[in-house]
Amino acid sequence: MAYKVKIDIFEGPFDLLVYLIENAEMNIYDIQVAEITGQYLAYVERMQEADVNVATEFMVLAAALIEIKSKMLLPRSAPIEEGIVEEDPRTELVEKILEYKKFKAAAELLENHENEKLLCFEKPKEDMDQYTNQVDEYLSLDIRQFVSAFNLFLRKKQRIEEVRKHYTRVERQKQSIEMKVQFIVGFFKKHSLKKILFKELINKESDKYDVVLTFTSMLQMIRDKLISVEQHRAFGDMEIKMVPPVKEDSVAIGEWDDN
Amino acid sequence: MGEPLDVKTAAEVFNINWKDAYDYFLELKQEYDQEGRGIRIIEVNKSFQFVTDADNSSYIERLCTPVKEKKLSQSALEVLAIIAYKQPITKGEIDSIRGIKCDRVIEGLIKKELIQEKGRSTAIGRPILYGTTDGFLKHFGFETIKDLPDIENIESAVAADDPEDEVYAQQISLDFNT
Repeated sequence: MAYKVKIDIFEGPFDLLVYLIENAEMNIYDIQVAEITGQYLAYVERMQEADVNVATEFMVLAAALIEIKSKMLLPRSAPIEEGIVEEDPRTELVEKILEYKKFKAAAELLENHENEKLLCFEKPKEDMDQYTNQVDEYLSLDIRQFVSAFNLFLRKKQRIEEVRKHYTRVERQKQSIEMKVQFIVGFFKKHSLKKILFKELINKESDKYDVVLTFTSMLQMIRDKLISVEQHRAFGDMEIKMVPPVKEDSVAIGEWDDN
Repeated sequence: MGEPLDVKTAAEVFNINWKDAYDYFLELKQEYDQEGRGIRIIEVNKSFQFVTDADNSSYIERLCTPVKEKKLSQSALEVLAIIAYKQPITKGEIDSIRGIKCDRVIEGLIKKELIQEKGRSTAIGRPILYGTTDGFLKHFGFETIKDLPDIENIESAVAADDPEDEVYAQQISLDFNT
């Protein structure tokens, strides 16, 4: 939950509640629920007014407070049967607040320790690589060997380049969506069909790329209102119909294009 | 920042047993403290490191601009306190104590290497358990986790006596784990 500066002073709903209780100088074991609930809600309201994104957790505690408040207002029930342990509706909340306060105090202790520790400085880590890692061995060969090795390398490189000149790599032309759309439109015309199945657009030679391309082209055509597609059951084949050409008064294709 | 030297490593270097090495470290540390030197030795969970004496901090800051470790935020300190005292503990338990989700804070503490995952709870969904690291001890200047101050009586909070005569048959449950 990210909230803004305004309520950043409170680390959460309990933090706010503890603040309100201590501010009102109430005994934690005898919280005036009505009063505290009122103050709590007023504060949450102010947070909302300040346009702070109030964390849902604040609302959860607000609801809990209202519930306790209403329970406190209920008239005392009929004489309680023996063996039933009754509870002050506030008990659980008090326990939670006490536990929270304990750790808030612990956090303060830690902070004191942290401040102490910040006064001790240590040395940045040294780069020990040159002592711990194997330093590269020097090449133990004389200059003539080195030169001939380098010449060998150059000749090899030359040969490879000569071979490459004689051959050119053939790149297969990948189809584009536009081409596929043309193909689908052509398919309808060629077979003068009103309706085709998706699988008819795919032949035995189609690879994965082609199937995906056909599908995305179909989506593109639906968007451009060239075709309508129906599928009668999950994973069933899709029926594609040509949409009749638009009339004069309707919106031109591409009007809603948001690209 | 430099790493403390582990007693085990030192023992291996000198080919002596662990206990002897540890005793030498302690002896050396004591010597520095007794002589009131400007450089001190600190212990972090059976590892040792040189640091400057806290009393000299103002002079050191005049001498150079030391790389200061960042202070932790209030929420980070709260979550860290809960984990330190209740480890191993799940995220849900931490959220419940603070009454607010702590995912982001926990992530940050893991990044700073102050807490780490300590396996999984046997509870439903086997949630991750968190605990503190040696980095935590070092950050706050504790030698071991046993050095954490006692907080049970921190607020001199005594368990509530039986509430007065206002009694209700119904029990309520406050569940902040939403």
